[in-house]
Amino acid sequence: MKRGNRIWSWIVMIIGILYFFLPLLATFIFSLKAKLGVLSFQAYANVFHDPAFVYNFSYSVLWAISTIVVGILLFVPTAYLIRLRVPKLRSAVEFITLLPFVIPAIVFVFGLVRTFSHPPLLIVNSPALLIAGYTVLSMPYMYRSIDTGLRSIDVRTLTEAAQSLGAGWGSILFDIILPNIRVAILSGAFLSFAIVIGEYILAQYLAKPAFAPYMAYQIQQKAYEPAAMAIISFALTWAAMGIIALVGRGNGQAQVGGGH
Amino acid sequence: MTHLTLSNICKQFAGTTAVEDFNLEVEKGEFVSFLGPSGCGKTTTLRMIAGFEVPTTGKVTIDDADITYQAPNQRNVGMVFQAYALFPNMTVAQNIGYGLRIRKESKTAIKERVTEMLALIHLEKKGNSYPHQLSGGQQQRVALARALAIRPQVLLLDEPLSALDAKIRVSLRAEIRAIQKKLGITAIYVTHDQEEALSISDRIVVMYEGRIEQVGTPFEIYNFPQTAFVASFVGTLNTAPAEVVDPAKHLLKIDGVQLESAEMLEDKHAGDKVTIAIRPERFNFIAQERKANILDCQIENITFLGSVVRIQLLIGSNHFYMDTFNNPFLELPKIGDKAQITCSREAVLVLKA
Repeated sequence: MKRGNRIWSWIVMIIGILYFFLPLLATFIFSLKAKLGVLSFQAYANVFHDPAFVYNFSYSVLWAISTIVVGILLFVPTAYLIRLRVPKLRSAVEFITLLPFVIPAIVFVFGLVRTFSHPPLLIVNSPALLIAGYTVLSMPYMYRSIDTGLRSIDVRTLTEAAQSLGAGWGSILFDIILPNIRVAILSGAFLSFAIVIGEYILAQYLAKPAFAPYMAYQIQQKAYEPAAMAIISFALTWAAMGIIALVGRGNGQAQVGGGH
Repeated sequence: MTHLTLSNICKQFAGTTAVEDFNLEVEKGEFVSFLGPSGCGKTTTLRMIAGFEVPTTGKVTIDDADITYQAPNQRNVGMVFQAYALFPNMTVAQNIGYGLRIRKESKTAIKERVTEMLALIHLEKKGNSYPHQLSGGQQQRVALARALAIRPQVLLLDEPLSALDAKIRVSLRAEIRAIQKKLGITAIYVTHDQEEALSISDRIVVMYEGRIEQVGTPFEIYNFPQTAFVASFVGTLNTAPAEVVDPAKHLLKIDGVQLESAEMLEDKHAGDKVTIAIRPERFNFIAQERKANILDCQIENITFLGSVVRIQLLIGSNHFYMDTFNNPFLELPKIGDKAQITCSREAVLVLKA
């Protein structure tokens, strides 16, 4: 590479980094200014000592874990069976999984409220509706992660090998498929976790306790604590990404075939 | 005693016939190979025995029990795949013991059987290794042990050596055959490699376009191919159109040159068109006076193939090959030379239409 090109690459990269990190750095510094004249973690202490934070954040964690469990139970067998039995449907299903990117969350939530707020489907107050909604919102991440994981193994041959040894569908899924795509499932799970923790519209309009509506409320009331919460939220997301990278690195998600 | 029977098996996929009227009886302990080019239906037939495909019509029985519509996991059939298909998340020992674990055998029984199988495939020290830590040959041996651990009634092998290099292929096929003989298990082996099929099998089923072309021992398939396809697919064979001259005297004619065959031609009449076949190694240059089967030819090309020298000849309008063993004192003609060659009457085969 020519010297001039290399300098330009560095300049572009530095601009990108600054664009991303400067607002974050500014938010972080601002969050440290809760005490007049000194930098301190007072805002963070206030956040963690607020029972409402613990209450709302705990609920968000509960919604996130429920969403992940439902997502795994729903998308692993779906992606598996589509790969195994109806590969022709893959492009159609991929399109469906992208719909949450296309349909605004506000449209989606009003659809949910209108559909499920009168008999026979009066479940608008049930947490199940919120979890179902989160499952749909996290679908692009969860489904595609699982599908990518399935692509890395020879699903058909492994299934047939297990069948020839006497395994039924349950054993195949739990003994063979799930363990071999666990990194992909973890990736999808952590992404779903990050989505649910930061999601505002569904929880707000379905009137359920959650971290994002609490944070929005705090923004209207306080100055430094919301900044601290934004940093906490970022830290959680990065921790999730770090865990994905750690689990993924050196994992023997071996492939069928190969060798010599 | 017939162990595995396939009766009138047909398989169609969306209007395309993959297997047509397939009939075969396999004895207990027999090693049968399905040999044919890609798309001839050999793997589809194997998959119907395994239960991964259901025949459109026909019946599959093992020990007289009809298993045609039985699910694959309900059959006691072991299968070895081309891609090894070892479970990447399990160690070698766990892979081998998986079928027994599914059958809810005791831990002690599983451990004993796994040890036995590891000894059988000479990988005693690899029980705790993961598949990705093994070579391709080792992985396929583990796949074989895994399929055998469940004591299957029939062992199915779907091109198990195709992904391996030539040297390992040769040694592993001998190992597979030795293990199969030692255990006395009935085995069906799918391959497109004629040398593999000839070297390993008790019987070979040659398939083409979904049909059985010929069933026979390797000796029969090589030396007495019954159809033009078998003749062309198994080994190198010279074929040429010929005309029956005198059926009673087994006389034929190619390009005006008379040939005598040992084949029975009772169902033929003088003037009938047939196809004859002669293996390249059955030709010799004429060293002494002969009265029959003398063919005038011209040397077109000479190719060294290591232990064999292949000579391309022009006989009339037909291009034939002749193989002769290589040795340092071999006197070969030159390209363009005229020569006379001969072959025995037994070497002249008449193929079925």
